[in-house]
Amino acid sequence: MMTQYELDDSGVVVIVGSGAGGGTLAHELTKRGIKVVLLEAGKHLTPDDFVNDEWGGYEMLSWLDKRTASGTWRAAKDHPLSPSWSCQVVGGTTSHWSACCYRFIEDEFRAKTLYGELPGTSLIDWPFTVADIEPYYELAEAKMGVTRTNGLPGLPANNNFKVMYAGAKALGLNVSTGRHAINSIPYDGRPATIQDGFTITGDKTGSRWSTLNVEIPRALATGKLELRPQSRVTFIEHDDAGKASAVVYVDAAGVTHRQKARAVVVAGNCVESSRLLLHSKSARFPDGLANGWGHVGRHYLRHIIQTVWSIFDKPVHMHRGEIMAGMIDDFVRHDPARGFAAGYYIEMNSMGLPTTAAFLEPGWWGRDFVSVIEQYRNMAGIFMSGEDMPQPGNRITLTDELDAFGVPVANIHYDDHPNDLKLRSHGYKTLSAIHAAAGAKRSIEAPSYPASHNLGSNRMAAKAEDGVLDANGRAWEVPNLFIADGSTFSTGGACNPTLTIVALAIRQADFMAKQMAAGEL
Amino acid sequence: MTDTAITAYKDPKMPPPVDLPEGPEWVGVLKVFDAHAAETLVTAAHTLYPHQTLPERVYRRTVFAFDALAAKLPAVAQGFAEFVDLVDGAMPVPFRDLSESYRVNTLKAIEATPAFRLVQRSTVRFLYDDLEVWQAFGYEGAAVQLGGYINRGFNDLDWLPEPPPGI
Repeated sequence: MMTQYELDDSGVVVIVGSGAGGGTLAHELTKRGIKVVLLEAGKHLTPDDFVNDEWGGYEMLSWLDKRTASGTWRAAKDHPLSPSWSCQVVGGTTSHWSACCYRFIEDEFRAKTLYGELPGTSLIDWPFTVADIEPYYELAEAKMGVTRTNGLPGLPANNNFKVMYAGAKALGLNVSTGRHAINSIPYDGRPATIQDGFTITGDKTGSRWSTLNVEIPRALATGKLELRPQSRVTFIEHDDAGKASAVVYVDAAGVTHRQKARAVVVAGNCVESSRLLLHSKSARFPDGLANGWGHVGRHYLRHIIQTVWSIFDKPVHMHRGEIMAGMIDDFVRHDPARGFAAGYYIEMNSMGLPTTAAFLEPGWWGRDFVSVIEQYRNMAGIFMSGEDMPQPGNRITLTDELDAFGVPVANIHYDDHPNDLKLRSHGYKTLSAIHAAAGAKRSIEAPSYPASHNLGSNRMAAKAEDGVLDANGRAWEVPNLFIADGSTFSTGGACNPTLTIVALAIRQADFMAKQMAAGEL
Repeated sequence: MTDTAITAYKDPKMPPPVDLPEGPEWVGVLKVFDAHAAETLVTAAHTLYPHQTLPERVYRRTVFAFDALAAKLPAVAQGFAEFVDLVDGAMPVPFRDLSESYRVNTLKAIEATPAFRLVQRSTVRFLYDDLEVWQAFGYEGAAVQLGGYINRGFNDLDWLPEPPPGI
């Protein structure tokens, strides 16, 4: 029987969202003896519910509520009502992710200092250094079973990797299968991968770490966690002293509840977290909770993400096996000689026929498209994730349209910065060159799909005037309000964000527990 | 054209492929579209994605999926109806009776409309989610029920150098 807390129990920490940040934090707090209510908008599914089906999985796991988009980014044209993508399910976006686990490098924590004054950007340095987060990266890697750490072997080379390897070697690049929170051998009670190629539709076997299959069950086992699925948070209240005091949410039956709280942690993935703060207006916070300096929703980042799909003379069968098990790190470091700031990781990508067709070039039709997609069996995919530049006008705002819960629909505005376009072009050329060196007949430069690395819109900063949060992810203006998702990132870095979100959640749990023990939270 | 080297599978928990009648009476199973709207949409799907090796039935199944969507969402039904009106109004001959170049030009002329976008995106969504299309183009689909690819060719590519173990 799961522990239950009363709605008027003001001794509980309320966490909104059960993904990489919220799910991890729930476990880390409860194992320190702290009472937690975890509210998740989505359902509590099991591996038996998941399917090996691209669209079936998408529809089962995704946050499908309407959003709108503006700005020069391709998502505004290609995906105007779903420019950003995340999950709505217990486990959050860890029920989908492809498990790439790379650490930020030292330089990335001091982007402002390193990149200098770039017109139009709102770069800052992180409010801490790599030395502060390193111990937490180690804890995160051990908890997640990241390959090539803690004695765990890397994932084996699959067909798509062989193509990437041949091209990378011909060009003298440093290539490996990379690091993933996917078991190459049994680890932590979870099996080794069977290479089914469907980790991103929920993972039926549990070889990949997620908060659904690791953190939340262990948090429940402490007896300190109450998980409330299908609980849609609509508002955060504060008391006369300006401290967060309660969270209003709507349950599966449509009934509104009000859970009192000792502290509130918002972990709803970037867009929803900023949206919730912006919507939680009061006389004291007329522009939204913790938004006195106007940073909530601003500096939104989504990484320079793109794929090149290439056609070869012979079959690749790229869909067989783990989809992103390949990595090249030659372009990660900031190198002014390239003519732009920041860097990028090259990774592998594969998709099934349904989503390859959908994302190859949305809007493309006719005989040329047909001649490409008919050669699916001979296609390989290669991908990049690079750092985009923070800009104050790239932001999440509320529109006049209300959703079914009476909360305004979010708009996401994003204009590409010239530095972003330079990095994008450099990346496309590199990706295509790698496939060409492996014998590609034709390469297609596919645009970004809906943003999945959503970052920066409630950022941490050394000073309140530069960001929403302090170095512990705590709101400068509301001392018991925290954020635990990618929106806290001061700058984006180049790598996939999940490992850093998990490391920050463990670090935040340490901070919160110490504050509580000292009677300060 | 069928790829005999692979066998495509739908996940056992997903709905099974739809079996439509082979003759013109297939339109009888539709809930929203009349015969003219259905055949016009089949022609449009075929004009957008003219795979010479795919049989007519895969395009019909695509339009069957449109119809199911239209039955659930009145706004979508309206969009499909607008599309049929748009393409039929473009030339003195109904769209489905036009030659290919006139059909292509008709579609190019309306590319910016929401109705075109609905039909083009919906065609991609459903045509390439069809088991018979997967089989034709070499996509094997669901794998977990067969133990994944760990023993079924995840690393069987043999026309490039083998990467060293542990790479």
